Amino acid sequence: MKNKLYLILIFIFLIIVVVNIPVFAHKVNIFAYVEGDRVYTESYFNDGKKCIDSKIEVFDKQGDKLLEGLTDEEGEFSFEIPQEGDLKIVLTASMGHRAEYSILADELRDTAGSNKDELEEPVSVVSPEISSLDLKEVQSLIEDVLDKKLEPIMREIKKSKTDKISPTEIIGGIGYIFGIFGIIAYFLSRKR
Amino acid sequence: MHISEGILSAPVLTTGAGLTAIAIGYSLKKIEYKEVPKVAILSSAFFIASLIHVPVGPSSVHLILNGIIGILLGWAAFPAIFVALALQGVLFQFGGITTLGVNTFNMAFPAIICFYLFRKGIRNGNNLTAFSLAFACGFLAVMLSGIMVAIALIFTGEPFIQVAKLVLIAHLPVMILEGLLTVFCIAFLRKVRPEILNIL
Repeated sequence: MKNKLYLILIFIFLIIVVVNIPVFAHKVNIFAYVEGDRVYTESYFNDGKKCIDSKIEVFDKQGDKLLEGLTDEEGEFSFEIPQEGDLKIVLTASMGHRAEYSILADELRDTAGSNKDELEEPVSVVSPEISSLDLKEVQSLIEDVLDKKLEPIMREIKKSKTDKISPTEIIGGIGYIFGIFGIIAYFLSRKR
Repeated sequence: MHISEGILSAPVLTTGAGLTAIAIGYSLKKIEYKEVPKVAILSSAFFIASLIHVPVGPSSVHLILNGIIGILLGWAAFPAIFVALALQGVLFQFGGITTLGVNTFNMAFPAIICFYLFRKGIRNGNNLTAFSLAFACGFLAVMLSGIMVAIALIFTGEPFIQVAKLVLIAHLPVMILEGLLTVFCIAFLRKVRPEILNIL
């Protein structure tokens, strides 16, 4: 029995050595961010491959579909913010793969909503030389600079979202499997 | 092959879960105490196999190993694949917990079919027949799984032929790879441990 187990183990190791392809997963991810009055999404498989021609649907809080579209060759898709309020973006890639990403209402309001809501008030306070046009320009300038500055951070966040599988999880998973079958073996042994 | 959460409708999910539960119950009743370590090892092999990924066209696919699991485990393929899929779902977010039943059935049922189709030939035939049957076994198990996925997706409104074609084309390299792997394993086992193939 011991000998037999040993041999099976060796042969599993052989399989893994023979097919020594980098360890990656099979899962889709979607990442979205707001820039100006548009929402940009990027979709990719866990190994970094882009999802091309995959369907993207946008839902509101009540689950009603607001719009849908297909990703381009870069796995990207962008749309104008359709409404204020939480958005749920759902990616459906081929063969039963699906991922979701939520954008909260505050995220949207910070960028888009501000143009309408908060613009009028400051104008009256500031000295009359500064027209509302200038303010608008200043605001869009700040937004542009901020977007540019935040881009690397966004990329970092996106990268960390790819959640590569760590060896700890793999070894832990194998441990769980042996544990579970240990329990099964225990109950089977009591039956006899 | 792992269908994600939120795609399938409730009837499909419950049917899959029900069928899987019955099959697991049956196999746990049938399983021999001394077979359990073998099941555990093949379950962990399955668990790791899906991390080995093969880039194909616009998608990416991974090894499944359900052919070899079917041949070596018979009905015990169900608990083996179920446990491995549950852990993949929890640890790697492959598939999902609600789709566990459907996914297990999609991968374990072809394993059982291959078990009944090929076990005699692989055990008793001469080297050439055994190896060609082993290739067919690895190949067919993946192919049937692809068809099962396409069937499960019919009810979401995706056209069957289109999905089936897509899944099968994407998995063609995996089918060939798995066929070769199965041949390799069977050749090794026939030489070193022929009695491991003697299961009911």
